[in-house]
Amino acid sequence: MLQVSSLTKVFRLACSKRARGERDPRERGRRFHAIDGIEFGVRRGQVLGLLGQNGAGKTTLLRILSTSLKPTSGVVLCDGEDLTKNPLEIRKRIGFVSGNTGLYGRLTAREMLRYYGKLHGIAAAALDERIGSLARKLDMGWFLDQRNETLSSGMRQKVSIARALIHDPEILLFDELTTGLDVAAAESVLTVVAACKREGRTVLFSTHHMDEVDQLCDSVVIIHEGKLCFEGGVDAMRSQTGESFLDKAFLRLIRPKTEGATI
Amino acid sequence: MKAGFQTVFLKEMKDVLRDRKTLLLMIVLPIVVVPLLLNLLIGFVIKKEQEAKTEVLEYVVFGDEFAPELAKTFEAANGFKKVTLGSPDELVAAIREDRIDFGLVIPEKTAAQLSGQEQASIELHFDNASMGSKVEDRVQNLVEKFNDGLTAARLAKLGVSPGQKQKSLLEPLRLRKQGTGKIREVIGDRIGGMVPYFFIAFCFMGVVYPAIHLGAGEKERGTLETLLLAPIPRHQIVLGKFLAVFSGGIIAVLLNLASLGTWLAIKAGDLRGIIGTIIGSIDLLDLVLLALMLIPVAAMFAALLLSVSIFARNSAEASTLISPFGIVLIIPAALALLPGVELNWFWAWVPVTNISLAMKELLKGTMDYTMLLAIFASSTLIAGGLLFFCAKWFNRESVLFRM
Repeated sequence: MLQVSSLTKVFRLACSKRARGERDPRERGRRFHAIDGIEFGVRRGQVLGLLGQNGAGKTTLLRILSTSLKPTSGVVLCDGEDLTKNPLEIRKRIGFVSGNTGLYGRLTAREMLRYYGKLHGIAAAALDERIGSLARKLDMGWFLDQRNETLSSGMRQKVSIARALIHDPEILLFDELTTGLDVAAAESVLTVVAACKREGRTVLFSTHHMDEVDQLCDSVVIIHEGKLCFEGGVDAMRSQTGESFLDKAFLRLIRPKTEGATI
Repeated sequence: MKAGFQTVFLKEMKDVLRDRKTLLLMIVLPIVVVPLLLNLLIGFVIKKEQEAKTEVLEYVVFGDEFAPELAKTFEAANGFKKVTLGSPDELVAAIREDRIDFGLVIPEKTAAQLSGQEQASIELHFDNASMGSKVEDRVQNLVEKFNDGLTAARLAKLGVSPGQKQKSLLEPLRLRKQGTGKIREVIGDRIGGMVPYFFIAFCFMGVVYPAIHLGAGEKERGTLETLLLAPIPRHQIVLGKFLAVFSGGIIAVLLNLASLGTWLAIKAGDLRGIIGTIIGSIDLLDLVLLALMLIPVAAMFAALLLSVSIFARNSAEASTLISPFGIVLIIPAALALLPGVELNWFWAWVPVTNISLAMKELLKGTMDYTMLLAIFASSTLIAGGLLFFCAKWFNRESVLFRM
């Protein structure tokens, strides 16, 4: 479904952002290699966990996969089609939600979903039906006509997910979806991710919570300082490191590159 | 099905019109605050002017015995009250401390000069730093009245009979001024530069908040990234946003125009007919042209400020970056206030200044309508160029995802 090959993204650094003290190994002169030569694949209907420390390059990778950023080099194929060649068509097949995705506070959830539905070219009648169906699925019917600025974090994340699902995409990119949510809200959101998997959608799921990885992911990709350091199943993570806890396995996999890292 | 930019535009308008701050600047300010402030300002000016004319002026005279007739003229005049002061040395302090309004010092030799048919002079001490003061005019009028009487008496003594003969002697050649400028041209030239200045400033204010909200605000709220993932070309997103920001400027300008027009129509009578004369001589076509002129200005401001706003990381940074533009963009508008700057084929191509000068000409009623083509062409080209730049700018990762 998705095949990532030799993917590299280099940003030009503003002078003020250049490291003063200890240099990040990804900073080369005025250029910052956010991700460097990443390669992995995801099959249709699979949930892939994207792991890495803060600043590892997960968000940059997801932004490239969502077509909002263009890679400096390398290729991403979606069913054999290069992502950069026809991004408008690819966007119809992708839904993206980030932990810090915002909502239009002055619009109601229904107005916002209608807005994105219209941008995706969905006809009015079909759009109302789709909003109704998503509201039932995500249990958001009771706050659909409230302004987004009045919603709680959990409710807002549900609206974000509904926004990403409005055009019924095949691929879902979730970037730290449960960040900042309480246990109940996170559980409710994860149930939606599980439902997406059951519906046969392909999900790329970036998280810091290993229990979520254990619960949902078929395979895992770990990025450290912009480079791929592990690709395989959850069981392979354990067997390769000899650790039964995924937290420890994760740290062991990145430890050779992070001196003194402790749990 | 609507085009992508229409969908973006309609949503942005809904979003903007639900913002209290924008509504305040775009609607409440022109409809309520501007006429209210004008009312207060004009009322204050008229009141002060009236007070200056009718206020009783307290004065002292030193040496009134050397020109008793002159002293009597002041004593008999309405609106003057004679008071006493120790010595002429205290005059300056007394005027500065507001104890008296002016002082006259008549030298001893004045009596001899007046009786000897010579020219005499007296001193007037007053506060010449006060702009609204009418002391000088009112004293001058009384002195002239005294001089007229004295001149007539002296001429009669010389055998020149009063009436035409004296007039022909005093003013052998009289210059009769016949200005070719209509009252509208004269007044339009004086105040015509101010009107576009205000309209352009209001247009800028109407554009600022929507630009910040729809540019940097989207980044700050985290909604820009999801909008960029919509399957429509980015130039359509820019166009939708631009139209919403541009509409903000146009709404502000039209409301200002309507509000000021209504206020002036109601108040024309109170303003001693001058404004009424101007309003009466401006026809509907001029008003429509006045509003049309501001369309490319609003478009220029919208494209420029949206570009700046989308570059900023957040609303606070956008406000900081936009603030200097408030001054930079108003300077060309203020050029129309300078004496000697008139609309010609050169100025017709200078952005903002051309609009300002054209509005001035419209108010004067001396507009060369062929220049409108150059003005619209220049302004539309610049607005189009800025919009093109904004669309290109909106495609740059380094702008949208600034590190």
